[in-house]
Amino acid sequence: MLDNFNRLVLANLHTLGAGLSVTAYVCFFSFLLAVVLGAIACLVRLYVPFIRIVAIGYIEFCRATPIFVQLLWVNYVWPEVFGFPKSVLGAGIIALALQSSGYLAETFRSGIEGLPKGQREAALAVGIPQFQIMRRIVMPQVLLVMAPSLVNQMTVVIKSSTLVSVIAIPDLMYEALKIVNAWFEPIEILTSTALIYVVAIFLISMLAKRVSDRFRNKYGLAAQA
Amino acid sequence: MWDSLRQSLDLTLFWEYRTILLRGLLQNIYIFFGGALLATALAFAIGAARLSKRGTVRIFSTGYAELFRNTPEYVFLIWVYYVLPIIFSRLLATKINFSPYAAAVLALGVSYSGFLSETVRAGILAVPRTHIEAAMALGMSRWMIMRRIIAPQAIRRMLPEALNQYVSLFKATSLVSLIAVEDLMYQVSMITVHEMRPLPLYTGAALLYCGIIIAAAQCIQHLSDRWRQRGWA
Repeated sequence: MLDNFNRLVLANLHTLGAGLSVTAYVCFFSFLLAVVLGAIACLVRLYVPFIRIVAIGYIEFCRATPIFVQLLWVNYVWPEVFGFPKSVLGAGIIALALQSSGYLAETFRSGIEGLPKGQREAALAVGIPQFQIMRRIVMPQVLLVMAPSLVNQMTVVIKSSTLVSVIAIPDLMYEALKIVNAWFEPIEILTSTALIYVVAIFLISMLAKRVSDRFRNKYGLAAQA
Repeated sequence: MWDSLRQSLDLTLFWEYRTILLRGLLQNIYIFFGGALLATALAFAIGAARLSKRGTVRIFSTGYAELFRNTPEYVFLIWVYYVLPIIFSRLLATKINFSPYAAAVLALGVSYSGFLSETVRAGILAVPRTHIEAAMALGMSRWMIMRRIIAPQAIRRMLPEALNQYVSLFKATSLVSLIAVEDLMYQVSMITVHEMRPLPLYTGAALLYCGIIIAAAQCIQHLSDRWRQRGWA
């Protein structure tokens, strides 16, 4: 058992490390893209009357389609229909971002709609321009309110990112499965991979929750139990 | 672009293979029900254990819930399919193999029991303490209090949230094609290999899932609104 562990896991640590950095790369950029897309979709849904229906359709589609189906769809269909993404890496990032942007858009929306209407009216009354109202009054409060859901969505992105190995992005899961297929001894390597994921997700969500609670405490929202 | 867009929205090919695809979808539904049953049973056990008076029970059950909430479903699915049979074989000293179906039900059931146990716990905690005290004052036994006071109220309160979890579980059943269960996505891939026309097939699959899940979500919304009106949830 320990022999196998040495031979399969420790000897391949650099490969796994490379995989982990690809996972981190994919997660980081897809989460960033998801926040941007989610914010755009939400703002369009709330404030742009004519194409609101497009935003609603987009959000509902993103939320209702399983990530795996979306991943294959983006990977196989998009390059021919839209001409991008050009690489599997791009496809993975876009698919993960699509999925999360739908959820994030809804979180943004509930955050914005939860703000008292009077604040906006007061800001308008003292003559603050729309954009500044958004930037200085709405956004800071919304971000504080939705911080826990952002953290939650981040863990969802990391969990879903394991699937990008299916379209041959060399992430942690891909490297692990490659080692399994080379040696046909799955126990040590798959268990270690699963543990790496669990620990990584646990640590990141703990850390992010810490940070978000800190901000919420500092600016007056009580931390969630 | 427009030509390929038209091609991907032209679902006649998808319709042509409807019997095979439906058979695939049926596998999804079987696995969904198996997984949901397992997840619910485990979630009740774990959710109740997390409120136990004994510290060790509480720590273990909380650890279990945290572990499976943080484990990616895909990794766990692969682990259950490849690793668990070997471990069992060594422990029992006989050769054991999981069918892909058993592995899928087991993996998804256990994965989602973590999330569901959270819902169960919240449901039980939402039952007012005074109801339990009143039942004790009337001399009901612990089991009777559980069965007639806590369970009905807790279940009503957690139903909307639990139904959302079941929707997520159904979405996760699309993963089982990766361990060669012949589900919808598996059939789609097979037909794609056969026909060499991925555009309509993958688009059709995405739209089909989207339709099913939006319909389910609407039903749930409708039902939970009705429950709220009756003062149940």
